[in-house]
Amino acid sequence: MKVLRNPQSLENLREKLVSARDPSQPLIILSSGTCGRANRSDEVAQVFREELSKRTVNGGIGLRITGCLGFCEREPIVVVHPQKIFYPSVKPDDVEEIISETVVKGNVIDRLLYVDPASGEKFRYEHEIPFYKKQQPLIFGDNIRLDPKSIEDYIAVGGYGALAKVLSGMDPEEIIDIVKRSGLRGRGGGGFPTGVKWESCRKAEGEQRYVLCNADEGDPGAYMDRSVLEGNPHSVLEGMIIGAYAIGADEGYIYVREEYPLAREHFNIALKQAREYGILGENIFGSGFGFDVKVSRGGGAFVCGESTALMTSIEGKVGEPRAKHVHTVEKGLWEKPSNLNNVETWANVPLIINKGWEWYSKIGTERSKGTKIFSLVGKVNNTGLIEVPMGITLREVIYDIGGGIRGRKRFKAVQTGGPSGGVIPESLLDLPVDFERLTEAGSMMGSGGMIVMDEDNCMVDIAKYFVNFLRDESCGKCTPCREGLIQMYEILDDITEGRGKKGDIEQLEDLAWVMSNTSLCALGTTAANPVLSTIKYFGDEYRVHIEEKRCPAHVCKALVQYHIDEEKCTGCAVCLKQCPVSAIAGVPKEVHRIDASTCIKCGICYDVCKFDAVVVE
Amino acid sequence: MEKLIIDGIETEPDPSKTVLEVAQELGIHIPTLCYHRSLSPYGACRICTVEIIWRGRSRLRTACTYPAWEGEVKTNSEPVRGARKLLLELMLAEAPASVEIQELAREYGVEQSRFKVGDEKKDNRCIQCGLCVRMCEDVMGVSALGHKNRGYRRSVTTPFDRESDVCTTCGACEFICPTGAITVKQITDRPVTRIASEFELGLKERPCIYVPFPQAVPNKPVIDRDHCMFFQNDACRICEAVCQPQAIDYKQEEKIVDEEVGAIVVATGYELFPLEQIGEYGSGRYKNVITGLQFERLLSASGPTAGEVRRPSDWAIPKEVVFVSCVGSREPELYKPYCSKICCMYTLKHAMLYKHRVPDGQPYVFYIDVRAGGKGYEEFYQRGIEEDGVLYLRGKVSKIFEEDGKVVVWGVDTLTGKKVEIAADMAVLASAIVPSEDAKELANKLKMAIDEHGFMTEAHPKLRPVESLTFAVYLAGCAQAPKDIPEAVAQASGAASKVVALFSEEELHHEPTIATVDEDLCSGCGVCVSVCPYDAREHDPEKHVAKVNEVLCEGCGSCIAACPSSACQLVNFKDCQIFEMLKAAMSEKGS
Repeated sequence: MKVLRNPQSLENLREKLVSARDPSQPLIILSSGTCGRANRSDEVAQVFREELSKRTVNGGIGLRITGCLGFCEREPIVVVHPQKIFYPSVKPDDVEEIISETVVKGNVIDRLLYVDPASGEKFRYEHEIPFYKKQQPLIFGDNIRLDPKSIEDYIAVGGYGALAKVLSGMDPEEIIDIVKRSGLRGRGGGGFPTGVKWESCRKAEGEQRYVLCNADEGDPGAYMDRSVLEGNPHSVLEGMIIGAYAIGADEGYIYVREEYPLAREHFNIALKQAREYGILGENIFGSGFGFDVKVSRGGGAFVCGESTALMTSIEGKVGEPRAKHVHTVEKGLWEKPSNLNNVETWANVPLIINKGWEWYSKIGTERSKGTKIFSLVGKVNNTGLIEVPMGITLREVIYDIGGGIRGRKRFKAVQTGGPSGGVIPESLLDLPVDFERLTEAGSMMGSGGMIVMDEDNCMVDIAKYFVNFLRDESCGKCTPCREGLIQMYEILDDITEGRGKKGDIEQLEDLAWVMSNTSLCALGTTAANPVLSTIKYFGDEYRVHIEEKRCPAHVCKALVQYHIDEEKCTGCAVCLKQCPVSAIAGVPKEVHRIDASTCIKCGICYDVCKFDAVVVE
Repeated sequence: MEKLIIDGIETEPDPSKTVLEVAQELGIHIPTLCYHRSLSPYGACRICTVEIIWRGRSRLRTACTYPAWEGEVKTNSEPVRGARKLLLELMLAEAPASVEIQELAREYGVEQSRFKVGDEKKDNRCIQCGLCVRMCEDVMGVSALGHKNRGYRRSVTTPFDRESDVCTTCGACEFICPTGAITVKQITDRPVTRIASEFELGLKERPCIYVPFPQAVPNKPVIDRDHCMFFQNDACRICEAVCQPQAIDYKQEEKIVDEEVGAIVVATGYELFPLEQIGEYGSGRYKNVITGLQFERLLSASGPTAGEVRRPSDWAIPKEVVFVSCVGSREPELYKPYCSKICCMYTLKHAMLYKHRVPDGQPYVFYIDVRAGGKGYEEFYQRGIEEDGVLYLRGKVSKIFEEDGKVVVWGVDTLTGKKVEIAADMAVLASAIVPSEDAKELANKLKMAIDEHGFMTEAHPKLRPVESLTFAVYLAGCAQAPKDIPEAVAQASGAASKVVALFSEEELHHEPTIATVDEDLCSGCGVCVSVCPYDAREHDPEKHVAKVNEVLCEGCGSCIAACPSSACQLVNFKDCQIFEMLKAAMSEKGS
């Protein structure tokens, strides 16, 4: 029987697992989260297995398939131990060479090393790479150290130690006090103090309480929760069990969206393994405390990330929010006190218990503690998931970690907080990233999306994109959100299509006011943020669209014209051949012309012209 | 404890209620669209937005969902009006065809929305408040409706967008929709059960809970159990939810009331001979062929058309109306041989009132002869013909049928001998007066005699016209025979006087002619007990003979005729006395 009957047996098991492992033995680590698999990490893993099976005679070469290592753009990543040599973007064809050269002989394969796009410098080890240098991976750090499908791996790195500590005689109140003092705030977007929430739930009237985990990450371009669940599911589970003990719940749910099959698979495996070891179920570690978690699949509606909609969805009804003047910690799932935290929040809990609130509260700013995982995407050189301490400036994130803007383009803005967030302009690049500062700037922390935009991004178009997303993703229950977004979209569409008129901005502001003040849930009250923040920082761009019928970023097709610079055109006919609607006329070696009436403004000629002779105005 | 102040009115906070409920109790009006008392608060339309000021912070919240905690509430402040105005602009762009939304918007100074109305929305009335869906699911327990899609594509529909076979056609969705956006027809092909109002003689519908008629005594609603969703399906209970004094009691049962009385006046009234039985006039199939009583409802200010003369098929104003007298009356071969007595005058009244309401209309009256035998009746008749131009045609109507939306009346003018055909908009039939359906049963219970037509028989046609043959049971009105209002009132007054006279005496007088039993002859066979219509006979088990209850005995003689041993005799009319009388009479004659 595997069941761990007391905290000591966990420690014994850990020691046994650690002593069985020899760190000097060669070990191949291959990252294979969803992002890795999108880059054929599955095939790479298969080739590794085949190649290694051929070499059983040599033996002793370990292979660990892990979750995402954050550098999504360069997945799949292979790290070869004990030297810790780092190869990004590994292809199946590279496998044989990695084994024969690096693993067996210890040689570094130069062509596979990481080249920093900004400096052109080559790096051998992960910790040297600028992308990783400024990060502080407290949550994410263990991903590389464990196979998410193995509870033994998790236990070997100290996993479930926090739970054992808690169940070795800590009072629930004491735990809540630690979490409160740590300053941990909800990572789902709201930033509500976690300990205070736990305390309210513990004190709420009622016998049955629920502990819930929100894994319905829906922001476009944000996937940190997915990667945590895929790469280290036990850390989330451990957090939930500790939370349940502190709150007095014996039942929990994790709400995972349907689009995250791998995360669900890994979490289900984690649940099964935890039950086998007696870490879930009745009488955990002989403490008398019992708890179990069920997995609830979401259909992928963005609104189901909203707490009440999520609970309604778990109840089996249509996921629509309801008024929560009475908080969900008092009346939540099935009207019972329910404590809902986000994946990342739960994953923070074991850390705080293990290392103490004093340690945790030293990280971050005055009111925002700890680290935060962001998904850094958009026009930066290095995209991926980054875990940084709160209070880091946007400049550090974008230039030091992100490696600056791609190409020779100029930074324009960074969008944070997902569809409910806003854009932050260049003038605020030195803004420290924490809950308060971002809100003051008209954006929000949200769940941690960070989309970097350059001069080629039209801000009206960006606002339209988010409004369109929300128009579709709003549940449609309340009037201001549903109809307000419809009308906002119409106005923005008019502006980008050249039908903008005087008073449009004022109408947008009126709509924003009524939406943010009268909407039923946070989706509606924050839905106007992308519009308001773009008006606030890029109002001129709106005015140019409306008054001059011009799109400075050349994005809004109705407002741009393509023509050929006669001086630069060499008459190479490349554009002429590529034009899908034959709008370009001309003979070789003579200046070509674009017929504006046929041109569909697809931009292919602009992209293919080697002489910059195609001009967009 | 801190107070809750709504628009300056102080009240006790009560978190078990919402701000909306407390405001309504205080008589403060807050507009609502997605709210209904029988449903739990939903908070979708947001029109009930109010300003909540608590601890110095002002926020807009919906009154229908916000608990009545302590603090200050402003229901009509500047930001509140501003928010409602914008919401209404949005709704107006969403549901431009809804009159209700247009009116509400106007209250907030919005005539025209600034926002775009999509082409697909031009005829839309739905504001997605979800009342119909919640009503169907939460209250009726049916789920024949639901929302599909989300966001800007959200709409209300039936399961799988198909004609719904789960719909019970209860109509609650149509009833509750605040913007007139939904009808049962949109949901199911099955016909909707409409309940015809009994009082309006089928000219109007009525709900399951209704006041039987205006000025009903007591003026209280009743529940129609045969149609009520609660009694039929254990659902609904809306009336219970909306009744603020909580007067709805589903456990009420019909009761039998026992009263001891000294006299009974039978005034069971009349009914009309059913048109269904008159085949030549369409057997009641034609909507625009109605009875005089139905026409009376059309003329009534509290009737289905609020007093305007309109025909039932399309509620158009009829330009030609044919009135037919003696329908079923004075027809010994087929229907009733008697004259219904009131039809001549009410038909005339109807024709005249019709002419007054529809001055360019033409009334025709088919008659056998006009019986205007009452004070002022003849003058009234002359006025109708001369002043109001009612056209009287002497003759019977042979057939009535519908053709091209017209009511075609075939008749004959016996004065000219010509056939007459009128294509009218409506026909009003003066159907014969017949006794109430259950009058016969009552007559049996009261041991009263009825005639061949079912009218109650008076004790004597000339000398005792208000009394029945049963002691202390009197007659009034059409229970006895067709009669008009003055006559009915006169008879009722007479009956009442008789009751007063009866009650004013110290002792009850009774006819001395009653039955007796010669105990020596009586064998105790009990035949007399079974034949006595007044329960005046009983069996004496000790003596084993029959007895007579002298108060109950009316001296009818049934027992005397039935007694096999001639033990029963009528006091003062014993056989021997009769024979002696006969003998004396014969001898006188002989002498």
